[in-house]
Formats: sequence, C-alpha cells, structure tokens
Amino acid sequence: MLDKLKKVKEALQNEIESATTLKDAERLKIKYLGRKGIINDLMKLIPTFPAEQRATFGQQINSHKIDITDIINDAFKKLSSESIPKIKKEIFDVTLPGKRPFIGKLHPVTRTIEDIKEVFARLGFDVAYGPEVELEYYNFEALNIPPDHPSRTDFDTFYIKNDILLRSQTSTVQIRIMENQKPPIRIIAPGRVYRPDTVDARHSFMFHQVEGLLVDEGVSFSDLKGVLNQFIKTYFGKDVQMRFRPSFFPFTEPSAEVDISCSICRGKGCSVCSCSGWVEILGAGMVNPNVFKFVHYDPEKYTGFAFGMGVERIAMLKHGIDDIRLFYENNIHFLSQF
Amino acid sequence: MKISYNWLKEYVYFYLSPQELADKLTNVGLVVADIKTVEDDFCLDVEVTSNRPDCLGIIGIAREVAAAVGGSLHFPEKDFVSSNTEITKYINITVEEPVLCPHYTARVVRHITVEPSPEWIQKRLRCVGIRPVNNIVDITNYVMMETGQPLHTFDLDKLPDQKIIVRRARSGEEIVTINGARRVLFHDMLVIADGKRPVAIAGIMGGKETEISESTRNVLLECAQFEPRQVRRTSKAVGIASDSSYRFERGTDPEGVDYASQRVVRLVKDCTGGEIANGVIDIQSHKHEREKVTLRMERVHKILGLEIKRDVVSDILKKLQFNVINEVDNYIDVEIPSFRGDVYREIDLIEEVARMYGYNNIPVKTSISVRGSTKSKEEIVEGSIRQFLIGLGFYEVKTFSIVDTSSLQCVNLWSDKEGIDIANPLRQDESRLRTCLLPSLINTKRYNINHGTEQLKIFEIAKVYLAGDKMPQEKTCLSLIADTDFYTVKGIVESLLLNLGILSKCEWTIFNESRLFSNEKATKIQMDRVTLGCLGEASKELGFKTSTSLSELDMDFLVEKSCFTKKYQTLSLYPSVLRDLAIIVDEEVTWADIEKCIASVNISFLKEINFFDIYRGKQIPAEKKSMAFNLCFQAQDRTLKNEEVDIAQQTILDNLCKILGAELRK
Repeated sequence: MLDKLKKVKEALQNEIESATTLKDAERLKIKYLGRKGIINDLMKLIPTFPAEQRATFGQQINSHKIDITDIINDAFKKLSSESIPKIKKEIFDVTLPGKRPFIGKLHPVTRTIEDIKEVFARLGFDVAYGPEVELEYYNFEALNIPPDHPSRTDFDTFYIKNDILLRSQTSTVQIRIMENQKPPIRIIAPGRVYRPDTVDARHSFMFHQVEGLLVDEGVSFSDLKGVLNQFIKTYFGKDVQMRFRPSFFPFTEPSAEVDISCSICRGKGCSVCSCSGWVEILGAGMVNPNVFKFVHYDPEKYTGFAFGMGVERIAMLKHGIDDIRLFYENNIHFLSQF
Repeated sequence: MKISYNWLKEYVYFYLSPQELADKLTNVGLVVADIKTVEDDFCLDVEVTSNRPDCLGIIGIAREVAAAVGGSLHFPEKDFVSSNTEITKYINITVEEPVLCPHYTARVVRHITVEPSPEWIQKRLRCVGIRPVNNIVDITNYVMMETGQPLHTFDLDKLPDQKIIVRRARSGEEIVTINGARRVLFHDMLVIADGKRPVAIAGIMGGKETEISESTRNVLLECAQFEPRQVRRTSKAVGIASDSSYRFERGTDPEGVDYASQRVVRLVKDCTGGEIANGVIDIQSHKHEREKVTLRMERVHKILGLEIKRDVVSDILKKLQFNVINEVDNYIDVEIPSFRGDVYREIDLIEEVARMYGYNNIPVKTSISVRGSTKSKEEIVEGSIRQFLIGLGFYEVKTFSIVDTSSLQCVNLWSDKEGIDIANPLRQDESRLRTCLLPSLINTKRYNINHGTEQLKIFEIAKVYLAGDKMPQEKTCLSLIADTDFYTVKGIVESLLLNLGILSKCEWTIFNESRLFSNEKATKIQMDRVTLGCLGEASKELGFKTSTSLSELDMDFLVEKSCFTKKYQTLSLYPSVLRDLAIIVDEEVTWADIEKCIASVNISFLKEINFFDIYRGKQIPAEKKSMAFNLCFQAQDRTLKNEEVDIAQQTILDNLCKILGAELRK
C-alpha cells in the first residue's frame, strides 16, 4: 500500500513539473485532492482493510495527503507569482498627486515685513517697536508738526482723548529710540498705524508701515540713496530702476518720495502706475535738525536719514493685488496664494 | 492746484510740451497728477506740498519753471490811472488785532458795471476749474490764481458808516456767508466788520449781505495778510474750507499784498471801466524783514554727500530768485525772498540746491559702515511660533484692532476694565480697541465658513489694549482656532510650550470664566502663578457645527519666560525596561494627581511616565475609571535587574494605593 502511495506522489511530482499555468495546477488539484480524486479514492479503500491495519494505512494516507497538498500549493504559489504580470497588467502611476502634508501660510503682510527686515538686517539695522496708542507729542510735535500746522491735514488721526491718539505713522518710534539711545542708531520699526480714511480699494483705516532710521556722524543723502537702492534691488529685482523726487515731510529736510519703475508695464505705462511708468513706494529724507533738537542731538555733529513705507502697498505692488481690503478679510483662498 | 498751460506760458518762456513740462515740475517736487485737454488749453493738476504756498499761484509755478529750465520771467502789468478823489473819502479802516492781521489794505473802485467777465478770463478760470460768476468776482479769483494772494470785494454801498473794523468776533454773533450758510461766531475768531456786524470771516469767506451783486456800483477791495494758525483754527471751527483759507493757512507772501491789490484794480479798470479812488489804505503792524542765511559749502557736502562747486550752488540760488549778497571762500550769504517763507535755515537752502541740482544726480553711495544687527528675543520667539504653527497647518490672519461693541467683542480675557473707545471713530459701531483677539478670529472663521471653507486652522499674533492709568497697556497675544477637540488643541499648545522650553513649568486648571469656551472642556494655563492664557473647546453658543477649539496666550509672557538653552543629557548605554500598568481610581482623581504621586516616590531610574488610555465601562465599577500608562525605567550606569524594577513598580503601586486609593487593574 505504501508503495502505491509513493507512486501516486511521484506521478504528481512528474505532472507538476510540466504544469505551466494555474489552470494546469487547478486540474491536478482536482485530480488528486478533489472529491473524486485519487486520494479520496484511496480513502474509500480503508474499510476494506483488516481492522488492525486500518489505522496505519489511514496515517500513511494522511501524511501523503499533506505532502501532496503542499506540492500543489507550492505550484500554485509559483505559478501565480509568475502569471500575475501576464494576466493583470497594472502600471505604477508616478504622476498621481503625492500625499501632501497640510501646511499653513504666513499672512502676506507678515511675509512682506519679514522680507523687508531681512534686507535691512544685512545692512546692520535692528528691529525696534513702539506703542500704537501714543501721545500727540511723539506723533506730531517732536516730529516737527506743530499744532494748527497745515501739514497736519496730511495726517488725519484717531484720538482717544485729549493728547492721546492712535499713531498715524511709525515715525513715532524714531523719537522714542533717539530719546533713549545715543548715536550711532540704525533701526527699522514695523507696525500697525491708523488713519480715519474711508475704506476703499486703496485705503484702509488700519495698515502697516516700516520706518527706518540711521543716525551717525557723516551720514549723507548719498548714503540714503545707497541704502534704499540696495533695498529696492534686493526686494524688487536687479533690473528695477529707482527715482527720487523732491517732496515735503516736516520731519525730514531735504525730503524725497521714491519711485520704482513699474514692474507691471516695465515703464511703458499702465493703470497701476497711472501711465507714468513709475510707482511711488516710500517717503524718505535727511532727519530735520528740528527733530534732533527735540531729542537733544547736536545737528552739527550728527546727521541721519529716515524713511517710511506702507507694507500693504509694497505687497500689492509685488504680488499685483488690486484691493487692500483683501488683507483683512482673511479669505483662505486669498491667504493660500502666498 | 490746477494750472493752465497757456496761462503759465505768459509768465515764463519755455519750449516744453505739456507732458515734458509735467516731467520737469515732477522732478523739482511739484508732482503733476494729471493732464487734461480743456478747450484749446491744457489743465495740469499740480500737487503742491503744504510747505510751498508760493506755488499756489501761477506766478510761483512760473518761478520754479524758470529755475528748472532757465527761461526768463515776465510778470503781468499792475499800473493804472486813478481819479483825484482820495480813498479816505469813502472808507475808514481800523485794525484792532494787528497780530492776527499783520497787514490790511483796501482800494475803492466806483461806477462799475457788474456783468459777465470777458471771455479770456472766463476761459482761464474754466480751465483751472473755477466757475465764472461775474466780472468782479472773476477778477479777484483770477488774481488769486495768478499770485496766490486771496482777495475779497465788498459792495461798498452796503457797508453802513463807511467803516471796516478788523476785530475779534463777539461771542454769539452770527453771519450768513456767501455760500448761504449761517454761522455762529466765537470770541477767538477774527472777523471783518462794518460799524455794526461782521461782513466776513477773516480770510475764510465773505458775508452774503455785502457780496457783489448785479446792482453793485462801487466796490471795496480787501487784500490782506492773516495769521495762518488763526485762519486754520477758525476754518475748522466753522467748517468752511475755501480757496482763500487754504492759502492763508499755509502763509501768503508778506510782500505780495500790494501787487495783488493793484493787479485787481488794474484788471477791473481794463474790463469794466470805473473810477479808481486815489491811494490805498494800508495798515501794516510791521514791515516784513527778509531772512538772511549763510550757507557753508562744507555743510552742503556733508548733508548731500555731493562734491559741488560754490558757483554752481550760487547759480542755483539766484535762479530761484534768492538774493546772493556775498560769496567768499566756502560761504554764501543769501537773502531769502519774501514769498519763500519755508526757507529760513541753512538746511532749507541745501534742500533747494539738491532739488535743482536734481536728486537723481546725487551719487548713490554703495558702501556703508559695518554694524552687527541682532535679533531680539521677541523676534526669535514670534518667528519660531509662526513657523511652528504654519507647519501644523495653521494660516496666519490679520484682523483689525478697532472693533465693534457687540457682545462677542466685549468678551474680556485679560482685564476686568472696559475697552478703550476712540473719540472720533469712522463708524459709530466700530469704535473700540480690542481687549481680546479671539472674537476677531471667531468672525474670521465664520466668514470663511460662509465662503465655503468649513475646515480651518487660523492664528494671529497682535496686540490687545487694556485700560491703564493714563496710557493703556498694550499686550501682545497669540490666539488660535482649530477644528479639533480639546486634547488636540491642548497637544498643539503643549508642543508649542515645549519648543519654548516652558511646558514643564505650566499648570493646568479648569477654566469656566469665559462664555467663549465650553464650561467643562476648557483650561487656564498658569506659570509662576501668572496666567499665561487659556484654551478649550468653543462654547456651543458660538454655533460651530463641528468641534472647534480656541486658545489665547500672552505673547509677552511667553517671550519673557521662553528659554532656548538646551542641556545635553548623556544617553544611557543600558537597555530600558517598559512596564504597562492600568489602575482603577475614583472619577475625581486627575492624571496630574497620578503623575505627582508617582514622581513623589523618587525612583532615580524612572525615566518617563506616559499616559496612553482612559477607560470607563462594564468591567469598571461605577464612578471609577481605569487609567493606563507605561513606566519607562532606565539606569545610566547598569542594566536594570528585573527584580529591582519589580520592587520599584510595587512601591509606586503601593503609593498610588495609599494616597489615591488606586488599585491595580488585573
């Protein structure tokens, strides 16, 4: 009987060799292990054996059945791993989107301030801050803007009460710094400022400015031009041109407004630059000797320059944003673009 | 100020197209905002800065053009023939306030006919945006546009007693101005009065009763100088801003009064005939003295960083009509013309030199002295928090510091005092400085939900304004909202505090003092007994459909306490042993109690205690809970033996049992 089982096993091994497809393996499985297969046929013989041999025979069949099952399963494994590429053709699509982690964004105003800070930090400017609720003295008097002076027309201001107001410019920080430090001074002061302007696409009652101040011995208008040129070329690009125009600010003399060549039309004229080819980006000038008197600096010994720029305006120019209100609506579809 | 291209050409020779002229003017500081074709002329809209009232007349602009392009100036005729009758026969003038009115002049023209002015005058006025009225009014406007000196004419026959008194208003006096408005006057205002009542608010606007009408036959021409600040104050107080007040408050040419007066009379005579009374009434408290300023060449170099020769400088000043009295060595002595009240110091002359030399011709210096800049702790902490939060998917927002007074905004986390109000808000309902950032963030979240973005994590770093003694306290806060549950937002804040090196010092207590937060799922964070902030799930009342959590922290305190120094801990060479435990405790026992209790056992090789699960349910008795955690044991100097870990674990369990009544869950 054992011989017979061995022969069955050998026969299977031979047949398995020649099996090339899963169908062949399936056929062999039915032939050997199926309900009417060879093994089951042998099982049916068990009752025909003498009682004392039945157990031995049963065990022999079982152990061969296990071997045969293994052989067939191995064949299945082998054939299926070979045959999958042939049967199902899947292509790994590298163009499907990756699983991106969800990352937020800095507000464009913060980003712009950071970029401005970065440029000036390389030129040795520290960052300084001052209060937003200010005394009239710092917002006006010490900046050479006396009461009832027509230049106050340019600085409509929110008042809290009496001589306390919401600063309408970051130039206040100039005075606070100079009051507490001796030259040399090299600071920029970013922050919120407030003006009671009716809100529209160009005006907001709250916006951000960055103020700059450099005071030392031997500082000239030529240095001012150098520093601002460095800022403009770094921030807006090497091919952007700079233009200085005479202007008036009570706290600087000489005063200038600074334009850059319009990046939208490249100087040809468009709606952003009102067809002039230039857009104004900041105000600047040499610190007025009257301002030095307020902080007890000797104007004969020290000279300096100051500049101030509107952060939203710069961000609007850089990114082509046409409405200042977008900065404060905080629509995610807006914020996610920067 | 709007100017006419053709008009300007009458006073200065130049060969420039309107656009070229605009570019020249812009380069010397008179920005031309717009050029329009008007009939056969061009109107240039010139932005005149408040320090240059001399350019509020076309002659002033002509001077600038002459200085910039070198063309010669031609001023219009002022001479006329008068009658033999002396002016004093018609009018008597008294100036009671010489400080407020340093110079007052009057002329009289009789037997005139009021009719439309000649077309050439009307055309020019239309070009510069002034509506023609009648010949007398038009001529005064014309001369004002020409010279920058405001003028006023009265109907002489409507001045009873033939008297003009320049005096302060009597409080309560009234006047109806020519624009038809009735104004009540106060004692600090200056008026022009006849024998009885005010007939004009000095320098601002004339009265209706004495204005020129078709029946006017005889006119009194006022040409004066008024103290600028007085005019500005009164103009603001009565709410009238006129072309006249605009010029007076900026300052008129103290030597230009008589010229303008003569120009008007001359034009009236030319246009309407009439008879000019002989002489002028001229009351001047003191004669204007021209400023003399010395310019040092070394100072020019120092301020501008420009090497420029003395003769170039003096040439520029002469072209600008400055009188160069003397120039020797490195000095130029200059007498300032009366129309340039903005120039009275050396620095002002230097600006003039720079302006005419051309700002764009001043060299750009490309080197700067060395100075190291340092980042403040504030910047470092803010920067690291921003980067941390955006890395976790938060968007940074910026919201207004001025908020409405709705109940949402009146939530106060940081102070018991009311918010600070603005005295002159743009809108009555947006009038308060915020005392807390969260309401603005809640509104921002709502705005985005309404615009289709349901899921959102946002934060803001900004100031809140807390009422103080005189000046308010400005506290910088960090506020955030995320669509997560309590423990997720707590985890975010914990990680943030861990980054700043202060997590271990924080204490967390139940917070139920704010209606923004859920009553039970909110906590106050304290450090050294000072409140660092709070966090928790949003109150149901806020109406968010998904689980939303909020937090607001005191940035100033975070900056102060944060610590970036990290001390290296030697890594142990020996393996660690982990033991998972679950204990059953009363509902009231908190994790903090358990942690404290374990720590108090003081086992030197206990490295970490990590919570991992809480369970209440069938296998646990009512009002009890199972807390599961693992203990990590590791020694620096040896491999721990199982037995010593067993002993340590048992000691811990005994202590938990003794102090918290805990029992090991089997």
